[in-house]
Amino acid sequence: MENEMPRLQRLGEVMTQHGTEMALALAILIIGLLAAKWIDKGLRKGLNKLMPNASFVSVFCNTVYILLVAIVITAAAVEFGAKPINMLRLLTIAALAAVGLVIFFRPFFPSLPFKVGNTVKAGNLLGKVEAITFLNTRLRTFDGKTFFVPNRQILDDIVINYHFTQTRRVKIDVSIRYDQDLLKAKRTLEAVMTGDARVKTKPGPMVYVLDLASNCVKLGGRCWVDNKNYWVARCDLLEKTKLRFDSEGIQFAFPQLDLHPGDEENI
Amino acid sequence: MKIADGLKIIENGWIRKPKGFRVKFQKQVETGIEDGYSPPAEVAPLNSDVTAWRYAWKLWQATRTAAENGAPGALYNITVVDDESHPFRFYGTGEFETYNPKRISGDEVPAMEADDEK
Repeated sequence: MENEMPRLQRLGEVMTQHGTEMALALAILIIGLLAAKWIDKGLRKGLNKLMPNASFVSVFCNTVYILLVAIVITAAAVEFGAKPINMLRLLTIAALAAVGLVIFFRPFFPSLPFKVGNTVKAGNLLGKVEAITFLNTRLRTFDGKTFFVPNRQILDDIVINYHFTQTRRVKIDVSIRYDQDLLKAKRTLEAVMTGDARVKTKPGPMVYVLDLASNCVKLGGRCWVDNKNYWVARCDLLEKTKLRFDSEGIQFAFPQLDLHPGDEENI
Repeated sequence: MKIADGLKIIENGWIRKPKGFRVKFQKQVETGIEDGYSPPAEVAPLNSDVTAWRYAWKLWQATRTAAENGAPGALYNITVVDDESHPFRFYGTGEFETYNPKRISGDEVPAMEADDEK
Protein backbone atom coordinates (compact mmCIF):
# COMPACT_ATOMS: atom_id res chain seq x y z
CA MET A 1 0.00 0.00 0.00
CA GLU A 2 2.91 2.27 0.80
CA ASN A 3 4.37 1.61 -2.67
CA GLU A 4 1.12 2.71 -4.27
CA MET A 5 1.09 6.10 -2.58
CA PRO A 6 3.62 7.83 -4.90
CA ARG A 7 1.75 6.52 -7.90
CA LEU A 8 -1.54 7.89 -6.63
CA GLN A 9 0.16 11.20 -5.85
CA ARG A 10 1.52 11.38 -9.40
CA LEU A 11 -1.92 10.57 -10.78
CA GLY A 12 -3.39 13.31 -8.64
CA GLU A 13 -0.85 15.78 -9.97
CA VAL A 14 -1.58 14.76 -13.55
CA MET A 15 -5.30 15.10 -12.98
CA THR A 16 -4.78 18.53 -11.44
CA GLN A 17 -2.68 19.68 -14.37
CA HIS A 18 -4.55 18.02 -17.27
CA GLY A 19 -7.89 17.06 -15.76
CA THR A 20 -9.86 19.73 -17.58
CA GLU A 21 -8.36 18.80 -20.96
CA MET A 22 -9.04 15.11 -20.33
CA ALA A 23 -12.64 15.74 -19.38
CA LEU A 24 -13.17 17.97 -22.37
CA ALA A 25 -11.52 15.46 -24.72
CA LEU A 26 -13.70 12.67 -23.31
CA ALA A 27 -16.80 14.81 -23.71
CA ILE A 28 -15.87 15.66 -27.32
CA LEU A 29 -15.29 11.96 -28.02
CA ILE A 30 -18.58 10.77 -26.54
CA ILE A 31 -20.74 13.57 -27.97
CA GLY A 32 -18.93 13.42 -31.32
CA LEU A 33 -19.41 9.65 -31.68
CA LEU A 34 -23.08 9.94 -30.75
CA ALA A 35 -23.52 12.78 -33.26
CA ALA A 36 -21.72 10.76 -35.97
CA LYS A 37 -24.03 7.82 -35.33
CA TRP A 38 -27.07 10.11 -35.47
CA ILE A 39 -25.92 11.76 -38.72
CA ASP A 40 -25.21 8.33 -40.24
CA LYS A 41 -28.69 7.09 -39.35
CA GLY A 42 -30.38 10.20 -40.76
CA LEU A 43 -28.29 10.13 -43.93
CA ARG A 44 -29.12 6.48 -44.58
CA LYS A 45 -32.81 7.09 -44.05
CA GLY A 46 -32.83 10.12 -46.36
CA LEU A 47 -30.74 8.57 -49.12
CA ASN A 48 -32.68 5.30 -49.08
CA LYS A 49 -35.82 7.29 -49.91
CA LEU A 50 -34.12 9.27 -52.68
CA MET A 51 -31.91 6.61 -54.29
CA PRO A 52 -32.96 3.16 -55.44
CA ASN A 53 -29.35 1.86 -55.44
CA ALA A 54 -29.04 0.44 -51.91
CA SER A 55 -25.46 -0.68 -52.48
CA PHE A 56 -24.26 2.84 -53.33
CA VAL A 57 -26.09 4.31 -50.34
CA SER A 58 -24.44 1.77 -48.03
CA VAL A 59 -20.91 2.51 -49.35
CA PHE A 60 -21.46 6.29 -49.28
CA CYS A 61 -22.85 6.29 -45.72
CA ASN A 62 -20.06 4.01 -44.44
CA THR A 63 -17.44 6.37 -45.93
CA VAL A 64 -19.09 9.44 -44.38
CA TYR A 65 -19.33 7.67 -41.02
CA ILE A 66 -15.63 6.70 -41.03
CA LEU A 67 -14.66 10.29 -41.90
CA LEU A 68 -16.84 11.68 -39.10
CA VAL A 69 -15.34 9.26 -36.57
CA ALA A 70 -11.82 10.23 -37.71
CA ILE A 71 -12.66 13.93 -37.28
CA VAL A 72 -14.09 13.33 -33.80
CA ILE A 73 -11.04 11.33 -32.67
CA THR A 74 -8.71 14.01 -34.07
CA ALA A 75 -10.63 16.79 -32.30
CA ALA A 76 -10.53 14.89 -28.99
CA ALA A 77 -6.82 14.18 -29.35
CA VAL A 78 -6.06 17.83 -30.20
CA GLU A 79 -8.06 18.96 -27.18
CA PHE A 80 -6.03 16.58 -25.05
CA GLY A 81 -2.82 18.17 -26.24
CA ALA A 82 -1.82 16.35 -29.41
CA LYS A 83 -0.46 18.50 -32.22
CA PRO A 84 -2.87 18.70 -35.19
CA ILE A 85 -0.11 18.07 -37.71
CA ASN A 86 0.90 14.86 -35.90
CA MET A 87 -2.71 13.67 -35.81
CA LEU A 88 -3.07 14.40 -39.51
CA ARG A 89 0.06 12.38 -40.26
CA LEU A 90 -1.14 9.52 -38.06
CA LEU A 91 -4.53 9.41 -39.73
CA THR A 92 -3.00 9.57 -43.22
CA ILE A 93 -0.68 6.67 -42.39
CA ALA A 94 -3.58 4.66 -40.91
CA ALA A 95 -5.79 5.32 -43.95
CA LEU A 96 -3.08 4.40 -46.44
CA ALA A 97 -2.24 1.24 -44.47
CA ALA A 98 -5.92 0.23 -44.40
CA VAL A 99 -6.38 0.83 -48.13
CA GLY A 100 -3.17 -1.08 -48.91
CA LEU A 101 -4.18 -4.04 -46.77
CA VAL A 102 -7.66 -4.19 -48.32
CA ILE A 103 -6.26 -4.06 -51.87
CA PHE A 104 -3.63 -6.69 -51.11
CA PHE A 105 -5.85 -9.13 -49.26
CA ARG A 106 -9.08 -8.65 -51.20
CA PRO A 107 -8.48 -11.58 -53.61
CA PHE A 108 -8.01 -13.87 -50.59
CA PHE A 109 -11.28 -12.85 -48.88
CA PRO A 110 -14.24 -15.11 -49.66
CA SER A 111 -16.86 -12.81 -51.17
CA LEU A 112 -20.60 -13.29 -50.92
CA PRO A 113 -22.36 -13.98 -54.23
CA PHE A 114 -24.86 -11.11 -53.85
CA LYS A 115 -25.16 -7.42 -53.07
CA VAL A 116 -27.53 -5.37 -50.95
CA GLY A 117 -30.91 -5.17 -52.67
CA ASN A 118 -30.66 -8.58 -54.42
CA THR A 119 -33.35 -11.21 -53.99
CA VAL A 120 -31.67 -14.45 -53.00
CA LYS A 121 -32.37 -17.91 -51.71
CA ALA A 122 -29.80 -19.01 -49.15
CA GLY A 123 -30.48 -22.39 -47.62
CA ASN A 124 -34.20 -22.43 -46.94
CA LEU A 125 -34.55 -18.65 -46.81
CA LEU A 126 -35.91 -16.64 -49.70
CA GLY A 127 -35.78 -12.87 -49.34
CA LYS A 128 -34.20 -9.55 -50.08
CA VAL A 129 -30.71 -8.70 -48.82
CA GLU A 130 -30.99 -5.60 -46.65
CA ALA A 131 -27.47 -5.32 -45.28
CA ILE A 132 -24.17 -7.17 -45.29
CA THR A 133 -21.75 -6.85 -42.38
CA PHE A 134 -18.43 -8.53 -41.72
CA LEU A 135 -20.10 -11.27 -39.69
CA ASN A 136 -23.63 -11.70 -40.99
CA THR A 137 -26.16 -10.86 -43.67
CA ARG A 138 -29.52 -9.29 -42.92
CA LEU A 139 -32.20 -10.95 -45.02
CA ARG A 140 -35.85 -9.89 -45.11
CA THR A 141 -38.19 -12.64 -46.23
CA PHE A 142 -41.36 -11.88 -48.16
CA ASP A 143 -43.54 -12.60 -45.15
CA GLY A 144 -41.85 -9.75 -43.30
CA LYS A 145 -39.39 -11.63 -41.07
CA THR A 146 -35.82 -10.38 -40.71
CA PHE A 147 -33.10 -13.04 -40.51
CA PHE A 148 -29.49 -12.45 -39.50
CA VAL A 149 -27.64 -15.24 -41.30
CA PRO A 150 -23.95 -15.83 -40.49
CA ASN A 151 -21.85 -15.27 -43.61
CA ARG A 152 -19.96 -18.50 -42.94
CA GLN A 153 -23.21 -20.44 -43.18
CA ILE A 154 -24.10 -18.70 -46.45
CA LEU A 155 -20.68 -19.47 -47.93
CA ASP A 156 -21.11 -23.15 -47.03
CA ASP A 157 -24.59 -23.38 -48.56
CA ILE A 158 -26.06 -23.23 -52.05
CA VAL A 159 -27.15 -19.69 -52.90
CA ILE A 160 -29.56 -18.72 -55.68
CA ASN A 161 -29.25 -15.09 -56.73
CA TYR A 162 -32.27 -14.08 -58.79
CA HIS A 163 -30.57 -10.88 -59.97
CA PHE A 164 -27.87 -12.55 -62.01
CA THR A 165 -30.20 -13.11 -64.95
CA GLN A 166 -32.79 -10.74 -66.36
CA THR A 167 -35.36 -13.35 -67.30
CA ARG A 168 -36.82 -16.44 -65.72
CA ARG A 169 -38.81 -19.38 -67.04
CA VAL A 170 -42.39 -19.91 -65.94
CA LYS A 171 -43.75 -23.45 -65.74
CA ILE A 172 -47.46 -23.95 -66.26
CA ASP A 173 -48.11 -27.67 -65.82
CA VAL A 174 -51.67 -28.92 -66.26
CA SER A 175 -53.24 -32.33 -66.56
CA ILE A 176 -56.23 -33.12 -68.74
CA ARG A 177 -58.42 -36.18 -68.97
CA TYR A 178 -57.75 -38.78 -71.65
CA ASP A 179 -61.07 -38.12 -73.38
CA GLN A 180 -60.25 -34.42 -73.91
CA ASP A 181 -59.01 -32.84 -77.15
CA LEU A 182 -55.24 -32.83 -76.67
CA LEU A 183 -54.47 -30.50 -79.58
CA LYS A 184 -57.10 -28.01 -78.50
CA ALA A 185 -55.66 -28.02 -74.98
CA LYS A 186 -52.13 -27.46 -76.32
CA ARG A 187 -53.28 -24.58 -78.54
CA THR A 188 -55.29 -22.99 -75.75
CA LEU A 189 -52.40 -23.12 -73.30
CA GLU A 190 -50.00 -21.68 -75.87
CA ALA A 191 -52.48 -18.92 -76.73
CA VAL A 192 -52.83 -17.98 -73.06
CA MET A 193 -49.06 -17.60 -72.72
CA THR A 194 -48.58 -15.86 -76.08
CA GLY A 195 -51.30 -13.31 -75.39
CA ASP A 196 -49.83 -12.18 -72.08
CA ALA A 197 -48.06 -8.83 -72.30
CA ARG A 198 -45.21 -9.92 -70.01
CA VAL A 199 -44.29 -13.16 -71.78
CA LYS A 200 -41.19 -12.87 -73.96
CA THR A 201 -41.41 -13.59 -77.67
CA LYS A 202 -37.83 -14.85 -77.76
CA PRO A 203 -37.68 -17.60 -76.70
CA GLY A 204 -41.37 -18.00 -77.41
CA PRO A 205 -43.82 -19.99 -75.30
CA MET A 206 -43.88 -23.75 -75.85
CA VAL A 207 -46.24 -26.51 -74.79
CA TYR A 208 -45.05 -30.09 -74.37
CA VAL A 209 -46.83 -33.33 -73.64
CA LEU A 210 -44.90 -34.30 -70.54
CA ASP A 211 -46.42 -37.64 -69.71
CA LEU A 212 -49.17 -40.12 -70.49
CA ALA A 213 -49.87 -40.90 -66.88
CA SER A 214 -52.19 -43.51 -65.43
CA ASN A 215 -55.20 -41.18 -65.21
CA CYS A 216 -54.28 -38.04 -67.18
CA VAL A 217 -52.28 -36.47 -69.96
CA LYS A 218 -49.76 -34.06 -68.49
CA LEU A 219 -49.06 -30.87 -70.43
CA GLY A 220 -46.20 -28.52 -69.68
CA GLY A 221 -46.30 -24.89 -70.73
CA ARG A 222 -42.99 -23.06 -70.71
CA CYS A 223 -42.44 -19.35 -71.25
CA TRP A 224 -40.01 -16.63 -70.19
CA VAL A 225 -40.74 -13.41 -68.32
CA ASP A 226 -38.67 -10.66 -66.70
CA ASN A 227 -37.35 -11.66 -63.31
CA LYS A 228 -39.18 -8.82 -61.55
CA ASN A 229 -42.52 -9.95 -63.05
CA TYR A 230 -42.04 -13.66 -62.37
CA TRP A 231 -44.30 -14.25 -59.39
CA VAL A 232 -47.30 -12.18 -60.47
CA ALA A 233 -47.02 -13.35 -64.09
CA ARG A 234 -46.98 -16.99 -62.98
CA CYS A 235 -50.06 -16.52 -60.78
CA ASP A 236 -51.90 -14.61 -63.54
CA LEU A 237 -51.06 -17.26 -66.15
CA LEU A 238 -52.32 -20.04 -63.89
CA GLU A 239 -55.57 -18.14 -63.31
CA LYS A 240 -56.04 -17.40 -67.00
CA THR A 241 -55.26 -20.99 -67.95
CA LYS A 242 -57.88 -22.37 -65.59
CA LEU A 243 -60.55 -19.94 -66.78
CA ARG A 244 -59.71 -20.31 -70.48
CA PHE A 245 -59.80 -24.11 -70.23
CA ASP A 246 -63.18 -23.82 -68.51
CA SER A 247 -64.58 -21.54 -71.22
CA GLU A 248 -63.18 -23.79 -73.96
CA GLY A 249 -64.78 -26.81 -72.30
CA ILE A 250 -61.50 -28.61 -71.65
CA GLN A 251 -61.73 -30.63 -68.49
CA PHE A 252 -58.84 -31.01 -66.10
CA ALA A 253 -57.96 -34.40 -64.74
CA PHE A 254 -58.20 -35.32 -61.11
CA PRO A 255 -57.10 -38.48 -59.34
CA GLN A 256 -59.68 -41.12 -60.15
CA LEU A 257 -60.05 -44.83 -60.47
CA ASP A 258 -62.51 -46.35 -62.92
CA LEU A 259 -64.06 -49.59 -61.70
CA HIS A 260 -65.45 -52.01 -64.28
CA PRO A 261 -67.52 -54.70 -62.51
CA GLY A 262 -66.80 -58.09 -64.03
CA ASP A 263 -69.43 -60.05 -65.90
CA GLU A 264 -71.04 -62.21 -63.23
CA GLU A 265 -71.43 -65.14 -65.60
CA ASN A 266 -67.65 -65.37 -66.04
CA ILE A 267 -66.92 -65.43 -62.31
CA MET B 1 -38.76 -18.84 -96.24
CA LYS B 2 -36.45 -19.11 -93.29
CA ILE B 3 -37.77 -20.24 -89.92
CA ALA B 4 -37.00 -16.80 -88.48
CA ASP B 5 -39.17 -15.15 -91.16
CA GLY B 6 -41.99 -17.58 -90.48
CA LEU B 7 -41.78 -16.89 -86.76
CA LYS B 8 -41.96 -13.16 -87.48
CA ILE B 9 -45.16 -13.66 -89.48
CA ILE B 10 -46.65 -15.70 -86.61
CA GLU B 11 -45.58 -13.08 -84.07
CA ASN B 12 -47.21 -10.27 -86.04
CA GLY B 13 -50.28 -12.08 -87.24
CA TRP B 14 -51.35 -14.78 -84.80
CA ILE B 15 -52.02 -13.22 -81.41
CA ARG B 16 -51.35 -9.52 -80.90
CA LYS B 17 -49.42 -8.99 -77.73
CA PRO B 18 -50.50 -5.73 -76.07
CA LYS B 19 -47.81 -3.59 -74.52
CA GLY B 20 -49.99 -2.64 -71.58
CA PHE B 21 -53.47 -2.05 -70.26
CA ARG B 22 -55.52 0.85 -68.96
CA VAL B 23 -58.97 1.12 -67.48
CA LYS B 24 -61.11 3.36 -69.67
CA PHE B 25 -64.20 5.08 -68.28
CA GLN B 26 -66.54 7.98 -68.87
CA LYS B 27 -67.15 10.46 -66.12
CA GLN B 28 -70.15 12.67 -65.54
CA VAL B 29 -68.99 16.26 -65.07
CA GLU B 30 -70.87 19.57 -65.03
CA THR B 31 -70.25 20.21 -68.69
CA GLY B 32 -71.21 16.72 -69.77
CA ILE B 33 -69.45 13.41 -70.15
CA GLU B 34 -65.68 13.14 -70.51
CA ASP B 35 -63.46 10.17 -71.28
CA GLY B 36 -60.78 9.15 -68.82
CA TYR B 37 -58.07 6.54 -68.43
CA SER B 38 -56.48 5.05 -65.35
CA PRO B 39 -53.53 5.09 -65.29
CA PRO B 40 -53.58 8.21 -67.49
CA ALA B 41 -52.10 8.13 -70.97
CA GLU B 42 -48.91 9.95 -69.95
CA VAL B 43 -48.13 7.33 -67.27
CA ALA B 44 -46.86 3.80 -67.94
CA PRO B 45 -49.76 1.35 -68.40
CA LEU B 46 -50.41 -1.73 -66.24
CA ASN B 47 -48.55 -4.78 -67.52
CA SER B 48 -51.20 -7.31 -66.50
CA ASP B 49 -54.72 -7.65 -67.88
CA VAL B 50 -55.66 -9.59 -64.74
CA THR B 51 -54.66 -6.63 -62.59
CA ALA B 52 -56.40 -4.20 -64.96
CA TRP B 53 -59.67 -6.15 -64.87
CA ARG B 54 -59.52 -6.47 -61.09
CA TYR B 55 -58.95 -2.72 -60.87
CA ALA B 56 -61.88 -2.07 -63.22
CA TRP B 57 -64.11 -4.35 -61.17
CA LYS B 58 -63.22 -2.52 -57.95
CA LEU B 59 -63.93 0.83 -59.61
CA TRP B 60 -67.30 -0.56 -60.65
CA GLN B 61 -68.09 -1.71 -57.12
CA ALA B 62 -67.07 1.66 -55.71
CA THR B 63 -69.17 3.69 -58.17
CA ARG B 64 -72.09 1.35 -58.73
CA THR B 65 -74.54 3.11 -56.45
CA ALA B 66 -73.53 6.57 -57.68
CA ALA B 67 -73.97 5.45 -61.29
CA GLU B 68 -77.41 3.95 -60.61
CA ASN B 69 -78.53 7.22 -59.00
CA GLY B 70 -76.94 9.36 -61.68
CA ALA B 71 -74.87 11.18 -59.09
CA PRO B 72 -72.23 13.64 -60.26
CA GLY B 73 -68.75 12.16 -60.47
CA ALA B 74 -70.06 8.68 -61.26
CA LEU B 75 -68.06 6.55 -63.67
CA TYR B 76 -69.78 4.88 -66.62
CA ASN B 77 -68.77 2.39 -69.29
CA ILE B 78 -65.79 1.15 -67.31
CA THR B 79 -63.72 -1.30 -69.33
CA VAL B 80 -60.15 -2.37 -70.00
CA VAL B 81 -58.32 -1.23 -73.11
CA ASP B 82 -54.92 -2.11 -74.52
CA ASP B 83 -52.04 0.19 -75.40
CA GLU B 84 -53.81 1.17 -78.65
CA SER B 85 -57.02 1.97 -76.76
CA HIS B 86 -58.84 -1.03 -78.25
CA PRO B 87 -61.22 -2.79 -75.85
CA PHE B 88 -59.64 -5.91 -74.39
CA ARG B 89 -61.57 -9.09 -73.77
CA PHE B 90 -62.09 -10.17 -70.16
CA TYR B 91 -59.86 -13.20 -69.63
CA GLY B 92 -62.49 -14.91 -67.48
CA THR B 93 -65.16 -15.15 -70.16
CA GLY B 94 -63.37 -14.27 -73.39
CA GLU B 95 -65.99 -11.54 -73.97
CA PHE B 96 -65.85 -7.75 -73.99
CA GLU B 97 -67.26 -6.46 -70.73
CA THR B 98 -68.38 -3.01 -69.65
CA TYR B 99 -69.27 -2.06 -66.10
CA ASN B 100 -71.89 0.62 -65.34
CA PRO B 101 -72.98 0.63 -68.99
CA LYS B 102 -74.75 3.80 -70.10
CA ARG B 103 -75.83 5.17 -73.44
CA ILE B 104 -74.28 8.57 -73.74
CA SER B 105 -76.63 11.19 -75.22
CA GLY B 106 -75.77 11.91 -78.83
CA ASP B 107 -74.27 8.49 -79.35
CA GLU B 108 -76.25 5.76 -81.02
CA VAL B 109 -74.81 3.09 -78.76
CA PRO B 110 -72.42 3.11 -75.79
CA ALA B 111 -68.80 3.50 -76.80
CA MET B 112 -67.84 -0.01 -75.83
CA GLU B 113 -70.68 -1.64 -77.68
CA ALA B 114 -69.77 0.36 -80.76
CA ASP B 115 -66.24 -1.00 -80.57
CA ASP B 116 -67.63 -4.52 -80.30
CA GLU B 117 -69.60 -4.09 -83.48
CA LYS B 118 -66.45 -3.21 -85.41
